[in-house]
Amino acid sequence: MESKKLASLFQEDLCIFSLRSRKKTSVLQEMVRHLKASGKIADEHFILEMLKNRESLGSTGLGLGVAFPHGRSIAIPDLTVLFARSPSGIDFEALDSEPTKVFFLILAPSEKGAETYLALLSRLTALVQQPETLEKLYEVKNFESLQAVLGSDNG
Amino acid sequence: MREEFRLLVALQDLDIMIKEVEEKKTSDQLKNMGFQLDGLEELQKARATLAGKIPPALRNRYEKLAGRYRMAIIPVTDDKCLGCFVKLPTSFFSSAYSSELITCENCGRLLFIP
Ligand SMILES: [Zn+2]
Repeated sequence: MESKKLASLFQEDLCIFSLRSRKKTSVLQEMVRHLKASGKIADEHFILEMLKNRESLGSTGLGLGVAFPHGRSIAIPDLTVLFARSPSGIDFEALDSEPTKVFFLILAPSEKGAETYLALLSRLTALVQQPETLEKLYEVKNFESLQAVLGSDNG
Repeated sequence: MREEFRLLVALQDLDIMIKEVEEKKTSDQLKNMGFQLDGLEELQKARATLAGKIPPALRNRYEKLAGRYRMAIIPVTDDKCLGCFVKLPTSFFSSAYSSELITCENCGRLLFIP
């Protein structure tokens, strides 16, 4: 996976450029529902439960307006990443208490090891450390602009 | 899927998450990325609550399998048990969606149809 271009891991039908939800749990719900509608998962229940449990371990809202909900479940067949954006921002109980505007939802099958998703998570968390990339991410409104921002990762 | 099997599947997902946090290598990686993992106790509480909802006989079966294998419940892909990779007999699929819990006849793991 390391050699793969970051942008190639994203799919246009797995992007939400304007989240409707306003609350933490409903944001998770909206993203998981989107995965179901796109045929990525058969059952929303298990993924949603897993993500809620993950949040009780500690918010995946790392601050700077970005969150990385993630985890492994038997109900996800392949490594999957969904991009979502909330123009106004959501209270995701982020570590810096600021509203969260950008979400990278990362899911991996449980029969594979944690490293399956940790590598991707590590690249994405590193990417948002670049202030100019972050600014662009907040403003991403379509798949082309998302691809352009992700293309700035050299991994 | 029978409700108690659904609970069991959720229990396994939770167990895998708890194991990840308890594994120093994984939790160190997550902490280095900036994640705080302070809620382990919360997870253990959620696990106890969930486990309490599952009939003891089924829970014991799961715990026994979980002691033997990395995953007690394993997905079926391409008609194969992903635990032992043995092809499942066609008779399996006629009964797969019934209310019964399906066991792999070769390795004994519980089977999950995605
Ligand atoms: Zn088997």
